[in-house]
Amino acid sequence: MANVKLTNVKKIYGKDTVAVQDFNLEIADKEFVVFVGPSGCGKSTTLRMIAGLEEISEGTVEIDGVVVNDLQPRDRNIAMVFQNYALYPHLTVFENMAFPLRLQKVPQKVVYERVTEAAEILGITDYLTRKPRALSGGQRQRVAIGRAMVRDSKVFLMDEPLSNLDAKLRNQMRAEIILLRQKIDTTFVYVTHDQTEAMTLGDRIVIMKDGFIQQVGTPTEVFDMPTNLFVAEFIGAPKMNIVSTQLVREGDKYFVTPYGAKIEVTGKKAQMLKDQGVDSREILLGIRPEHMTMASAGDPAAIPCKIRVNEMMGSELHLHVEEDNGDRLIVRIPTVALEDEQRSNMVSGTTIHVTFEGKVMHFFDPETHANLLA
Amino acid sequence: MKNKTIKKSSLGARASRRISNTIIYIILTVITLVWLFPFFGIVMESFKVNVTGMDGELFPGQWGFGNYTRLFNETDFLKWFLNTALMGVATAFFQTLFVLSMSYALSRLRFKARKPLMNLMLILGMFPGFLTMILIYKVFSEAGLTMQMAPVGLVIVYCASSGMGYYISKGFFDTIPKTLDEAARVDGATRMQVFYKIIMPLSGSIIIYTILMGFMAPWGDFMLASYIIHENSQGMSVAVGMYEWLSKTMVNSNYTMFCAAGVVVAIPVTAVFLGLQKYYVEGVTGGAVKG
Repeated sequence: MANVKLTNVKKIYGKDTVAVQDFNLEIADKEFVVFVGPSGCGKSTTLRMIAGLEEISEGTVEIDGVVVNDLQPRDRNIAMVFQNYALYPHLTVFENMAFPLRLQKVPQKVVYERVTEAAEILGITDYLTRKPRALSGGQRQRVAIGRAMVRDSKVFLMDEPLSNLDAKLRNQMRAEIILLRQKIDTTFVYVTHDQTEAMTLGDRIVIMKDGFIQQVGTPTEVFDMPTNLFVAEFIGAPKMNIVSTQLVREGDKYFVTPYGAKIEVTGKKAQMLKDQGVDSREILLGIRPEHMTMASAGDPAAIPCKIRVNEMMGSELHLHVEEDNGDRLIVRIPTVALEDEQRSNMVSGTTIHVTFEGKVMHFFDPETHANLLA
Repeated sequence: MKNKTIKKSSLGARASRRISNTIIYIILTVITLVWLFPFFGIVMESFKVNVTGMDGELFPGQWGFGNYTRLFNETDFLKWFLNTALMGVATAFFQTLFVLSMSYALSRLRFKARKPLMNLMLILGMFPGFLTMILIYKVFSEAGLTMQMAPVGLVIVYCASSGMGYYISKGFFDTIPKTLDEAARVDGATRMQVFYKIIMPLSGSIIIYTILMGFMAPWGDFMLASYIIHENSQGMSVAVGMYEWLSKTMVNSNYTMFCAAGVVVAIPVTAVFLGLQKYYVEGVTGGAVKG
């Protein structure tokens, strides 16, 4: 149990390939922090620098107040779970999990207790005598987690632990990681490219792109107030609709005018615009698919568009619609909100009207892509 | 109709596969026979009792172990045999140690001189070893490592440059996922522990290959050995010792015994291989990482 502090951490490969730039972050004791971003954004590299598997080019990494830059991985007292499990193929499940304890020369009795306890928590007691090759992917990942669990490590690092599992198993394991976290109350650093994992697991999320931190915040913060267009599009699925349009100020009121519709900005966002004295201007307007609704044709706030693709997800429909000028939008509509008849009409080529509420909009600068209000 | 054509073409494929397999096996059988014939001949010669030289017959007219008893009772063969066996064991041990350390370092550690070093060794390896023979003799005779002490000197020669034979085991180590090293290092292992607790157990086949190569080296080396050992029966290896039996004056009285000695020499190498064979397991890395 310990805090982790990264100060101006930088990773340069070779002469000038920069993988991580000026990474500053303080991870509190027992916090669960998720690094998320597309591949090549430097999230794994950062994690590996904390683990000691990559050299730190510049800056410092502190664990529990001690600068660990020059410490070997084994001297950092960390546990790590790898994406590809990294089980020792010649050892049984029991010996795989006991491996770190054996290196610490822990007495046999304690080894037995800890391993069986961890195996029980993870539900792999029946497989303790098997070799890794006789296990399924999910079981292997449990063993890998078990191997990390048996130690009293200060920090628990996980490098895309669920990426190699199929979708169903991934959901199940995700829930188990949340339970696990409640059981072994320690500091977690978790790397993933999956925003759902990031949102569901993290106390705080660090969103990265091209080696730079884009935003650090709680799941709610990054969802409600993304600092820039990248974060806005990365967090949330399907991704946020972006429309190039005008923000119009009329006295104390603000309107947006996407595709000829006129929709008033309301709620907190309107107040913030007023407080910051924002004038009429060009903007990139962001609306999440789940915030879009069906509208009637006569409504001044309605945007007419044609359905291109209708994805039936079960509990909801994902409609990929096209506006007259060719812009594509995604609309997410709960199936319960639709009459049967309406649902059967949602075929490719049908014209529908969509709109959205005034309080759910995001405003971005067309040049800098920064959130106007963040 | 469609079904029929599919069936027909698959039958055709099967037939042509069978024909090509037959041809391949015929070729392989012929090659094997050609390959094995000399060995068979040597074994047959060793059991001849009424002749000692070459009589041009393949099978013995009279069978017996006379050559073998003569070998151990009337010559220094046993001494040479033990010399060579000891050299084999020592060479196998040190050579395996050097080759595996070298290969592991080149496979896992990244240091500035890594590439240049590998290239240098590749180029050095292209020079025939006997180029250095005279120099080695000079140095060894100064150091007293010839004649009686030749076995020690020879082991040093066999092991000295053995690290240069890293290619095969490095290639093998490269196939062991590096995440295993990383996982072990995070779990608290030193580089050394990673090597002998993780890499070594997974490298059974390549270790055995290296041991066998080291063990076999002294049995087959004649050129260098004959220079270093010269003239001292006590320090001889089998290859050098037995060679004398084939000299013009002795070949007629010693040829069948020479063949018997050849058979005896084949025993330890075969035994070591058979003994180690069970560790020669394939696919031991299964299940380590997601493939």
